[in-house]
Amino acid sequence: MRYLIVPSIIAVFSILVIGAALRLDLSPALIVGESMQPRVFPITLMVINLVLALILAFQYRDTTPVKVPFEGAVTWGSVALFGLFYLLTVYVDMLIAMAVVVFLMALLWGERRLPVALAVALVSPFAIFILFDLVLRVRFPRGLFTNWYYG
Amino acid sequence: MIEALQAMATVALDPTLVLLVLAITVIGVIIGVLPGLGATTGAALLLPFTLTMEPVHAIAALATIYVSATFAGSITAILINTPGTAAAAATTFDGYPLARRGEAGRALGIAVVSSAVGGVFSVLVLCVAAPLLARVAYEFRPPEYFALAIFGLSMLASISSGGAVRNLIGGVFGVWLATIGAEPTTGIERFMFGNYELYEGLSFVPVFIGLFAISELLVQSKAAHKAVEAVRLKAVRLPSREDYRRIWKTILRSCGIGTLIGVLPAEGATVASMIGYAEARRWSKDKASFGKGAVEGIAGAEAANNAATGGAMVPTMVLGIPGSGTTAVILVGLLVHGLRPGPYLFTEQVDKVYQIFGAMLLANLMFMALGLFAAKLFARISLIPARTLWPIVFALAVIGAYALNSALLDVWIALIFGLIGFLARRHGFAVAPIAVGLILGEMVETNLQNSLKMFDGAWWQIFTQPLAALFLVFAALGLFGSPVLAWLTRLRRGR
Repeated sequence: MRYLIVPSIIAVFSILVIGAALRLDLSPALIVGESMQPRVFPITLMVINLVLALILAFQYRDTTPVKVPFEGAVTWGSVALFGLFYLLTVYVDMLIAMAVVVFLMALLWGERRLPVALAVALVSPFAIFILFDLVLRVRFPRGLFTNWYYG
Repeated sequence: MIEALQAMATVALDPTLVLLVLAITVIGVIIGVLPGLGATTGAALLLPFTLTMEPVHAIAALATIYVSATFAGSITAILINTPGTAAAAATTFDGYPLARRGEAGRALGIAVVSSAVGGVFSVLVLCVAAPLLARVAYEFRPPEYFALAIFGLSMLASISSGGAVRNLIGGVFGVWLATIGAEPTTGIERFMFGNYELYEGLSFVPVFIGLFAISELLVQSKAAHKAVEAVRLKAVRLPSREDYRRIWKTILRSCGIGTLIGVLPAEGATVASMIGYAEARRWSKDKASFGKGAVEGIAGAEAANNAATGGAMVPTMVLGIPGSGTTAVILVGLLVHGLRPGPYLFTEQVDKVYQIFGAMLLANLMFMALGLFAAKLFARISLIPARTLWPIVFALAVIGAYALNSALLDVWIALIFGLIGFLARRHGFAVAPIAVGLILGEMVETNLQNSLKMFDGAWWQIFTQPLAALFLVFAALGLFGSPVLAWLTRLRRGR
């Protein structure tokens, strides 16, 4: 039954979207005229996806595709670092979050030389920050570092 | 035409643009030689940097990264048997065996010349074909645009990575993503779940950065500890007279194949190079040498993949339908810089269009020079360890996603789509169809609505419009042609 997992996820997603679309407001006939209500198009798309998910289930029944192997710890560790990046950005500072995550990611990916990991962590985010801030005039969100930098 | 040529020639007189093209060609070649960082990821990462540039410079930069990274994938394909880009996968078949025989310089020389000829040929075709197609596209009304977008989506069924059904699911998902936000005619909010930052819909840039750059980061994590071994390279050698005699027909054939495949919506350099390689083998008198270092194999794949770059720009600029994942990013660049793709681009902003084409031509010549004289240096860059490279890519991706709207929401969107893209790829789905669907989504819905208004709700009238009907027939052929053919063949064998 493993072959049903992916088509089922697609089907459940499509049904959820259809459910959400059915709750969308209706537009007055005067505005819509002979065209379609805003809910019709996404519902049509999801019905198409349901049909495609069904075809996919039949295809997978005959030949279940082999999952591409990924190095679990490094891959999922990187995903966890995205979560850490979110927390640090929201509660500390985006630039500091980036430096910490880049440093930890370098270590996670196999960098054993601490000075190299530190250099990558400090140079790359701050070089990119200076480029975007000074050259491209992008204002970064307020945080521990940016409060000090912007004053 | 003379005005067009003049506009193209002005590129050479604009030192800022020439320097920009040179700098971006170098960056493009570096991106191309780094396994995993292909033209699409490179263009997605470069896009935020172009925000403050003039429109022509910005699009020229994106187009330059497209052509130079497409070529550069061949350097690592030949030297370390790892294609820098998917489009260079076919180059490994004969490039690496030739390099192993101690002829890496010869293999690279053939790849450089074939790529440059393919690229220049396709830009010339682009200069001629784009305005002609634009003239036809003036006649398009909503039914034709709707049918054309459906044709573009149907072509997703035949792109190389992922299966047809999986690609179509990705495409439909992408089209659905385009419905998030306020519906354009009625203003009714769809799938925003109370988040008013999504009122104008999902921003393309963070979604693309997520789908292409961050998902690639997670995919590459499996190779985090992989050691790379390079073949020794003394110097790149221009092809000999004997080589030219053997490959000129192959190059010409692949130029045509690549350009034509590039023009087809949603097809790209990867498909072009595979077909270019297969055709080179089919027409060769020495088929047995293929896979063992046949020069025609390298020329066939490389001329085709670079010819596809110019071809893919035709539907992108004339019709607003991306010819590949990278042109989807370029299309976003055009929109961000206020250059609305479509036939009117060729009347209202014709100078800018031809300057972009001129920059592409220049980029092809520049990567040829760089390939011939600095391939050895670029090959060394490919040895940068993943543990150093990908954390830097993460920083670039995150700031790039933030930069367009200065919105943290865009960063979270990029990370979420990175995860979605990774999970999709883990289960055999390609991410390019999602990107193409997202771009075509608005075109499909708006033109369907306008068609319904035109025909007072009688949707079947769309089929009575000759061009629209033709596109829909092509779409049906694209979707059902190959399964029906396979079924008929099985039926005949059964008898």
